Amino acid sequence: MWTVHSICSLLGYGAFLVAFVAGVLFLIQDAQLKHKRMGVLFHRLPSLESLDRANFVAIGIGSSLLTVGLVFGLRHSHPLLGTTWAGDAVAILAGLLWVAYLGLWWVRMRATYRGRKIAILSVVGFLFAVGVFLGVVRWLPMWHAHL
Amino acid sequence: MRIIVAGVNHRTAPVEFRERLAFRAEDLPAAYAALREQLGTEEALILSTCNRVEIYAGVPAVDGTFGRLSSFLSARARLEIGELASHWYAFDEPQSIEHLFTVASGLDSMVLGETEILHQVKRAYEFAQQHGSTGKTLNVLFQKALNAAKAVQDRTAIGRGAVSVGTVALELAEKIFGDLRGYRVMLVGAGKIGELVVQRLADRGVADVVIVNRSLDRAQQLAIAYGGRAASLEALDESLLAADIVLMSTASPHALVTRERAGALMSRRRQRPLCIIDLGVPRNVEANVGQLENVYLFNIDDLEGLVNHHHARRREAVTASQAILAEKVEHFLRWRRTTDEPCDPLSSVRAPAP
Repeated sequence: MWTVHSICSLLGYGAFLVAFVAGVLFLIQDAQLKHKRMGVLFHRLPSLESLDRANFVAIGIGSSLLTVGLVFGLRHSHPLLGTTWAGDAVAILAGLLWVAYLGLWWVRMRATYRGRKIAILSVVGFLFAVGVFLGVVRWLPMWHAHL
Repeated sequence: MRIIVAGVNHRTAPVEFRERLAFRAEDLPAAYAALREQLGTEEALILSTCNRVEIYAGVPAVDGTFGRLSSFLSARARLEIGELASHWYAFDEPQSIEHLFTVASGLDSMVLGETEILHQVKRAYEFAQQHGSTGKTLNVLFQKALNAAKAVQDRTAIGRGAVSVGTVALELAEKIFGDLRGYRVMLVGAGKIGELVVQRLADRGVADVVIVNRSLDRAQQLAIAYGGRAASLEALDESLLAADIVLMSTASPHALVTRERAGALMSRRRQRPLCIIDLGVPRNVEANVGQLENVYLFNIDDLEGLVNHHHARRREAVTASQAILAEKVEHFLRWRRTTDEPCDPLSSVRAPAP
């Protein structure tokens, strides 16, 4: 069922995927520059600054979309089946994910961390997001019943 | 018609010899007229760059043409006939065709695989075409040669990777920042390589060039030359704070940028990336500064290592390039056989004229 909730959540995960790819490419490029090696990929990769920017923008967009997705998810869960979102494991994880990405975006915007650390966090964040998403698909009928 | 080429290049003749033979753009229309009227070329194209002067021509028959070309060039450059003979080369088909394909793809260049020659060949071709000096045969030949050169550039690593300390430094800065417009460069100290790198960066339209020198006079001179401004060594921290790309090139006996100084700087910069190119010997920057996050430090050995690495990769790419060119030359020769008058099968076995 294509609701605002599922569309926004899916697009949000898509944006996190972009951030993940930019993060991985950043880490490869960063390692090559730090070790003064220019591998096969070196001449094909975008600059660190553009990867960092892509990562930042993607996380911003992804977090916004996930926010909308979660809000609509919450609105639907109450009236339909009477299950509260607090009892839905997937929703709790998604909430944690949302907090994590917003935090990541905030940290990057405040420039407390930048570059490699943000890239690593966006890779870890995406692995977490994949876990949540698989949870939605796998246990959908059981725990994420209100979809 | 036969396609021939004759000329000199950076390997066969020194610069003082090449410059006498060189054609300026304004000389070309008269030269094309002379080739047509005095030498009887049906089609002709002159390629004159700082590393080579070559005349490609379509002639009805080879006999005597090379002699006439030699007289033409010698008279023009006021050379003795014998003088040219020891420096020039002259090829008949199919070597002439192979030669053009090799030249256009940068395999015959001083800097192996450079792409500037591709543009020079293209410009020379367009000029000759506009002046009605090329016909069907040279048109197809040059289009195929340019096409082959592009295939070589796209499919091999021949043109990739910078091959001088200056261009490697530029390449590294671009790998970190991308388009350098809007970024700030600082040169600390003076020195030939440092100036060379600043020049390359300034060419890319960086926002600001700051020159720091113990002698403010010297700094001001350089600042004027590169359209930047001078700053004193005492204000080094402030300058470092604002800069994105820092070139260190002082004769200081101890490191000017210590790990402690750089660490404090990075938090004040709010982790904005910093590229430091340390050209100093002894080094101006402590090696462990490079371990700081968002700091990219390269010393002179790193740069030279990358230059060598690129050279090696280009040499490896030669074989692959030659295979592509052989295929493209063969393709063109097949076209020649189908369109031109039947070729004398023995002609390609004959030794080319001197």
